[in-house]
Amino acid sequence: MIKGFQKANRKEVLDLINRTVDSTPELQSLVVFFKNKDVLFKEGDSLSYLYLLLDGSVSLTHKKGDTPAFEVLKLEPGHFIGIVAFNTGNNSLTTATSLNKIKTLRFSQDDFEKYLNQHPSLRSPLQQLMMSNMTERFKVNLELESRLNSLNHTLEEEGAELKEAYQQLEDSHQKLVHQEKMATLGELVAGFAHEVNNPASSLLRSSESLITNFQYQSDKDPLAKMFQLGLHSAPLSSTEVRERMIQVQKRFPWVPERSMIRKLAQIPDEGYIIIESFRKKISIELLVQQHEAGKFIHNIQLSSERIANLVKSLKSYSRQDNNQAELVDIREGINDTILVLSNRLKYLNLELDLKDIPKAMVKLGELNQVWTNIIVNACDVLPDGGKLKISTKEEGDHAIIITISDNGPGIPEQLLSKIFEPNFTTKNQGAKFGLGLGLAISNEIVRQHGGFIRASNKKEGGAKFEILLPVTNG
Amino acid sequence: MDHQIYILVIEDEHEVMDALIKDLEDFEQTFPIESANNTKEANLVVNQICDSGDEIGLILCDHVLPGENGVDFLIGLESRKEFHNTRKVLVTGQAGLEDTINAINMANLNHYIPKPWTKESFQEVVVKQLTDFIIEKKYNPLEFMAVLDSVRLAESMRSNSLTDN
Amino acid sequence: MTLNKKQLAGLIIGIIGLAVPFFLNIEGLSYAGHVALGIFLLAASFWMLEPVPIYATSVLVILLQILLLSKEGFIFKTATEAYIPDAYTAFIGTLANPIIILFLGGFVLADAAVKYNLDKNLTRILLRPFGSQPKYIVLGLMVVTGLLSAFMSNTATTAMMMTVIIPIIVQLDKTDPLKIGLALSIPFAANIGGIATPIGTPPNAVVIGALSQQGINIPFGEWMALAVPLVIIALFFAWFLLIKMFKPSTDSITLDMSGKFNTSKNAFLLYTAFGLTVLFWVTESFHGVKSAIIALVPVVFLTLTGVVTKEDIRKLPWEVLWLVAGGISLGISMKSTGLAEWIVASIEWSAFGTITLLVVFSAVAVLMSNFLSNTVTATLLIPLAVSLATSGVAGEGFNLIIVSLVIGVSASMAMMLPISTPPNAIAMSTGTIETGDMAKAGLTVGIFGIFLVVLYAVFYWPLMLN
Repeated sequence: MIKGFQKANRKEVLDLINRTVDSTPELQSLVVFFKNKDVLFKEGDSLSYLYLLLDGSVSLTHKKGDTPAFEVLKLEPGHFIGIVAFNTGNNSLTTATSLNKIKTLRFSQDDFEKYLNQHPSLRSPLQQLMMSNMTERFKVNLELESRLNSLNHTLEEEGAELKEAYQQLEDSHQKLVHQEKMATLGELVAGFAHEVNNPASSLLRSSESLITNFQYQSDKDPLAKMFQLGLHSAPLSSTEVRERMIQVQKRFPWVPERSMIRKLAQIPDEGYIIIESFRKKISIELLVQQHEAGKFIHNIQLSSERIANLVKSLKSYSRQDNNQAELVDIREGINDTILVLSNRLKYLNLELDLKDIPKAMVKLGELNQVWTNIIVNACDVLPDGGKLKISTKEEGDHAIIITISDNGPGIPEQLLSKIFEPNFTTKNQGAKFGLGLGLAISNEIVRQHGGFIRASNKKEGGAKFEILLPVTNG
Repeated sequence: MDHQIYILVIEDEHEVMDALIKDLEDFEQTFPIESANNTKEANLVVNQICDSGDEIGLILCDHVLPGENGVDFLIGLESRKEFHNTRKVLVTGQAGLEDTINAINMANLNHYIPKPWTKESFQEVVVKQLTDFIIEKKYNPLEFMAVLDSVRLAESMRSNSLTDN
Repeated sequence: MTLNKKQLAGLIIGIIGLAVPFFLNIEGLSYAGHVALGIFLLAASFWMLEPVPIYATSVLVILLQILLLSKEGFIFKTATEAYIPDAYTAFIGTLANPIIILFLGGFVLADAAVKYNLDKNLTRILLRPFGSQPKYIVLGLMVVTGLLSAFMSNTATTAMMMTVIIPIIVQLDKTDPLKIGLALSIPFAANIGGIATPIGTPPNAVVIGALSQQGINIPFGEWMALAVPLVIIALFFAWFLLIKMFKPSTDSITLDMSGKFNTSKNAFLLYTAFGLTVLFWVTESFHGVKSAIIALVPVVFLTLTGVVTKEDIRKLPWEVLWLVAGGISLGISMKSTGLAEWIVASIEWSAFGTITLLVVFSAVAVLMSNFLSNTVTATLLIPLAVSLATSGVAGEGFNLIIVSLVIGVSASMAMMLPISTPPNAIAMSTGTIETGDMAKAGLTVGIFGIFLVVLYAVFYWPLMLN
């Protein structure tokens, strides 16, 4: 019976009921009309009547909390109104409102049982309608459930996507902050380099001029000669000084002051001959003083050169002037980086194997950050005397490989895949690149250049970073 | 004094060593200077000095050195009784906070001179430290009056019950 | 213990000196006298050349005398006609001779004064009236130094004054002669000031000790009456000389002394003890209580009250007491064995006039003490003078007291060399004085000192003593 009952059949059944009602006077009393927007029953009411809609439409609405009421179901002729509540005896879950002028059959509990079970002509059609109403309701439920399910699923997916998007945003933010930090630092460094440049140049020039001034003195003059010897003095280790002091004491037993003996120890044998030959005419103090003057001017010169080189490398290293790619030999940047980091590299065993490589179109300042990051990481884990090897070589026709390896503890296997991820750090707070972004940024920089970094552990122990960069000529 | 009191300077960069020794010139006649470029050499010198019956009044030590660093060297000396009165001074630009704390707590550091230094303040520190040394060891201050803090040395003489003879 | 050449010579000469008389037979000298001579030679060379510390020599002298000259010794168990051996207690008794006790009292008071900064605080207030003109500041410093060194050791006074003048010297222009003047003023004033009271400096103790051996007692106040006028004149002369020789090139100097008097209970106890003791010392002639007995009172009082502690007592210069005791002890045997008399008899004294003798003694004392310890100088010369006076050989005017005073005072006039006295050495160590400066000034003061001493010996002292 259910199977065969289709919408078309429902119309026939309805017609049958209509005709029966029209022709049966006692059924007339069952007919009730409602106007538009009449409320048949409200949500929460307990229902004493059941309505069968014969004509018109009715809306079943439900209100949840503060949200506005929404339509649960729209009922057409042939639908029972309030069927669930009526049958279960529970309060109605919905409010029934007519949408237009409607005609209904109103049954009380007793009426309905009588007609549904006993009335000869109404019994069957009512039962059929009941059945169809129920199955329809059930079908609607099923549909709703599956719709709910797919909505939930979609929501979940969207939620996950949102989370991922947020994380990416967070990362980008960090990168931005870091970059800004580096930019500020870079600005400071460039500013400092600029400022120091002037006095550094002045130092260098002045010391060179000073030396030139003294060149004009005759070589025959013993004081000038002593000065020259001082100017070209090679530094002695403290052990050598100590040994020479013993020799000096033997050669110059008439010199009592230890500080004079020490100064004599730093004078080459040539100077001793001068001192001895001119002993009667020129005091030894004067001669030694000249040598010392030469030595200290030499020191000034050396130190000024060091400062000038550091400044040059600092500026070149930071490439603050332009953030454009330029066609350049990457080794220049590597050398600058090494010079800038010379303090940290001081007691390491640095091996350089910078084979010839073609120039490439790169942002040297950024690449320098990459070398710095990897080298500093190595410095942090290597003990004094640890080995650090940096090499460059051409790979095929269009690529360069830069390798930075050490003989330190290496990278734990399980971390190898994660070290280029942002926020990966084994350092405590406050370390220079300890934001954990160093390698991530390095990775990003290399990738933006079209290359990639690979980290691995060497067979003999120690970490190895290989950076491959494509050679593009612009 | 029947034995020598040395000043020991440990520094690996030659130009800096030259500058340190130059600033110590005025003291060398009374306090002979020994120098070392690393702590290994310093240990040799230290033992030599001890063996000859002399002592070290003041050590001026850089921190960043090849091999063992300055703070560790000074900590190592603490265990040797002969050096309990020796004044220990770090002359460096690069001892971090942790290293400095260790130097103070475990090596009994007496003073810290940051690089770069001025001759005046450097010599002030040397005078103060060596004066402390002489007073602590209760040596006859007379031969040090001209080179060290004569007022403090004279004051210390008061409490040592000097007498006529 | 490595000895330098001088010390090695002293050691050898001393040992030889000790041994030789045993093998000689000198005319007119008893056997005991020979022994005493040996000990004397040993003492003299050990004291002068210092192979061992001088206080060690002093106790060695006492021991040798006990072993070789006393009744309980090896040689003279019974009296001979030439020599009645002293009991050993006579020798060791020198360690507690009244003058030693007097000095002990002085040491305790001085030590406590330094401990509670009485010396520094007194200096501060006493210097105030002297203004800011360099020459008056020097005068003020010398007056205060002299005053303090009369009651404390010259050396301790000098050390304290150094802390006052070094800050001034440092401020002065490098070429200002005032630096030298200032640096020299302190040891000069300290050496001279020490003459003023019996406890001022150990040579005074030797004088008093030797005189007491002869039964002559000089009360505290009497010594001061004899010495203070001389001290004042000498001080002024020294001041005048130094200002003249080292004319200040600056107009004013500021003396910056901070601090305040210690107001603790112990400090007040000290102030009381100090004041009362000095008062009773100075008035010894009036109340008659011996100064040595008075000296014990502050010792007892201060140790009872804990003002002076065990540590302070340990730090007292006991070796100075030994040094003086040894000197007194030597004097005993030199006299009782007849050695001193024999030495005296060897020279034709009558050829010299009294005044000449006085000048000679004074000059020799000044000369010797410039090279030797002042106390040793007094120790070696006074027994001779005593013998000279008691034997009457030198004539009427050669009064024992006077000649002892001459030697004792002259022994403190050693200002020429850093090695002459510890105050000189301290001043020298500051590096502000050239040896030439000290020598010139010291020589002048020394010569004036001889002159002054002889003057007093001839005119003033006889007057006071009679």
